[in-house]
Amino acid sequence: MVSSFCWGCLTRLPSAPRALLPPTLTAQRVAAFHTSTALLAAKKGASAPKYRQGTSMTMKKKKRPAERTRPPAVGERKALRKRIVLSNPNALEIPDMKEVSNETMVDSRLRGSVLGLPVPMLDQLRAVQAFQPKQGWSIFRRPGTVVRRETLEIARLIDGISGEGEEKGKVVKKIVSGARATGKTVHLLQAMSMAFTKEWVVITVPDSQELVTATTAYAPLSDENPNVYVQPEATAALLSRTVTANPVLSKLKVSREHTGLKAPVPAGTTLEDLAKMGIKDPAVSWNAFQALWAELGAKSAAPGFEKGFQPRPPMLVTVDGIAHWMKESKYNNVDVQPIHAHDLLFVRHFLSLLKPGTGQSSLPNGGMLLYATSASNSPTIPTLDVALKQVAARQAGVRPSAPEFPHPDLYAKTDQRVLDAFDSYGLPAPKEGTLELQTLAGLTREEARGYLEYFAHSGLLRENLTDEWIGEKWSLAGGGVIGELERIGRRLRVNTA
Amino acid sequence: MPPRLNLFTARAVPVLRSSATPSAARRSFTTILNANRPCAATTNGLTTPLQRRCNSSGSDGQGRPKGPTEDPLPHVSEEAAEVSKIMDKKCDGAPSSPELEQGTPVSEILRRDKDAQKHAPKVMQDQMNRPSGSRSFSTSAFRMQELQANNNPSSSSDDASAALVANMIAQVTEQAAELHPGLKFPAPAELPRTENFRKRYDTVVDQFTKTIMRDGKLSKAQKNMSFVLDHLRTAPPPQINPRRRLVGAPPASQLPLNPVLYLTTIIDSVAPLLKLRQQKGIVGGGVSVQVPVPLTLRQRRRTAIMWIVEASEKRRDSQFAYRLANELVAVAEGRSGVWDKREHAHKLATSVRSNVSARSGTKNRMG
Repeated sequence: MVSSFCWGCLTRLPSAPRALLPPTLTAQRVAAFHTSTALLAAKKGASAPKYRQGTSMTMKKKKRPAERTRPPAVGERKALRKRIVLSNPNALEIPDMKEVSNETMVDSRLRGSVLGLPVPMLDQLRAVQAFQPKQGWSIFRRPGTVVRRETLEIARLIDGISGEGEEKGKVVKKIVSGARATGKTVHLLQAMSMAFTKEWVVITVPDSQELVTATTAYAPLSDENPNVYVQPEATAALLSRTVTANPVLSKLKVSREHTGLKAPVPAGTTLEDLAKMGIKDPAVSWNAFQALWAELGAKSAAPGFEKGFQPRPPMLVTVDGIAHWMKESKYNNVDVQPIHAHDLLFVRHFLSLLKPGTGQSSLPNGGMLLYATSASNSPTIPTLDVALKQVAARQAGVRPSAPEFPHPDLYAKTDQRVLDAFDSYGLPAPKEGTLELQTLAGLTREEARGYLEYFAHSGLLRENLTDEWIGEKWSLAGGGVIGELERIGRRLRVNTA
Repeated sequence: MPPRLNLFTARAVPVLRSSATPSAARRSFTTILNANRPCAATTNGLTTPLQRRCNSSGSDGQGRPKGPTEDPLPHVSEEAAEVSKIMDKKCDGAPSSPELEQGTPVSEILRRDKDAQKHAPKVMQDQMNRPSGSRSFSTSAFRMQELQANNNPSSSSDDASAALVANMIAQVTEQAAELHPGLKFPAPAELPRTENFRKRYDTVVDQFTKTIMRDGKLSKAQKNMSFVLDHLRTAPPPQINPRRRLVGAPPASQLPLNPVLYLTTIIDSVAPLLKLRQQKGIVGGGVSVQVPVPLTLRQRRRTAIMWIVEASEKRRDSQFAYRLANELVAVAEGRSGVWDKREHAHKLATSVRSNVSARSGTKNRMG
């Protein structure tokens, strides 16, 4: 339907006079008297510059989705971290691989070859924690170690000490040092395997750091000696390691009376049972350890205990990472002052073995002390460096009064207790060697060849092992540093593009 | 087009000097100025503005202005010589004017100019003093050889042995040339890619490591990767599912001894060939349709790695490396859901394969 009125007429209408129109109710109309507030009010919410606010762009943080999986059980991750796998069933078996035995360990013709560790011995070595998680045992069919010059040297010493010759009952004290990944810990392991072969008693401290990081219980020794501390749990763990690893202890009987334990030890008790007393009750573990140590050093039986007395075997004592013992521990005393590591009786006992024994040698039945430094996990202790240099100088025959004898920096803080720990005053007992420093370096090229051939025989390395290739890898490994050789050996060279 | 003669670097600039013969100078100067105007007609020094077309014909020769090529301009140096002849009075072949002959030998100039002879370089002076035909070096090497060959035709015993040796050398050279064309010594063996220290890892291992990297922590990713490779090395060989075989793999028992190959095989076996792209504007109406697109090798592998990492997230092992390693073994044994993903992706791509031609048709229409 067409609208009856015309738009043209509407547009031509004269505009109505203002007074006729109803007033428009705008804000300005209402408050015409003063306009400022009305204008400002109209501008509210418009995009006026905000002077009080930062103008920089802010980014919203993305919210992470909540973790749905439950966290792993307590200790599970540590167990995974510390897990040691000694065999890879996929690796090829080497048919003519020799094992560590009385004959092979001193055979210099085997230098450069890899000797397997006997399977029954693996439990013992595991018990003394000779293997470390990152040593790469898990890629071979069975664990083995390469025979290097230092291995043969130590094998001859061990052979001599347990033999019947003039070396019998000798005490060798060595500090094993060297650059990172040069095989210090494996050197200790080789010594342990030889000692187990010779049926020695092996006592080890595989992780010296555990004793000073305040993670294990400690207590003053007694009311009379409030400034020295025992660590019952750690001592019990040491006894446990020793008992598990050394079946020899079950054949040896006590040779004297022992006080300090809860019950008197009757004659005929085996050393294993003696140690187990300490394992069962950590409160007496330190006393039990002292009793065990006295028994292992006994040369004859006290009256009343002669029945069934057997001569004690030599001992191998190893400590890995001694630098942690050369500073103040994380433990506090009653005055909330840090306790020096040398005030812990456990540490003090093992460090005192380095000094010449009073009257008799520190290991009366002979044996060997091997204390290794660590290059990957060790605090920086300048005094220890000087002390080791002094050991080397004394070994080279430099007198302490000589000008070339190394001394600590006069303007640096020197820990005199550390210097004294390695200082051997007085004369050593007969058959007791002085402290020596053994510095490990890289393998020779022949030894490196044997080691890399071991990789090739195991099917891990697919190369033509020429002299040129081996020399190249030897150089790449920093002059035959064995840890680096291992990394080269397990890294696959892939020919595909 | 730049002017042919740069007025500001000319040797004699007529504008800046007062001249005794202004008309001649002006003429030449206008010649210079008009050089760039092909249509400008010059008559007796007067320039008439012409409306005529340049190439028009029919005009007589006299009044007709000359084309650009009909009256070639004199050479720059001729012009300069003319200018200097006008400007400088002593224009008698003196060195103030440029030499008009192209390539006038220096020796000729020196010969006629005693003053220049005195100041010539020492080498030239020596040359001038020396009798011609004597050189400090010999140029008669070929003639000497010919002479030697002609003089000793009789020494046959030496010749025989020398020929033998020469023969042997030629033979060896020929053999070498056959073996290594263009090389004197055997070519060095080609270094594998992984021997370069910047690319020391295999391609797949490298890609996998970078894909599992989070927050730029490459070292952590490498640690996880080495755990995964060690797990593949030590885990028991996979029980291959006959329906889901690994593509191009050696027997399963050999896989663990080459973990890199093992990993590559796993990834390549579950890598999809195609992906679907949502594309608008093919069928019109603003509707987007799915178009299957082929992937490159690296893209295929990346998709497979992402799927594997995704699937590993659902595992219950406590650590990422364990989850990943177990998932990889599951893929190798055909237990993983990644295989289904691949099949699904391929099925989808097949079902929408008609869109590929639609897309290409659109392109043709547009182009």
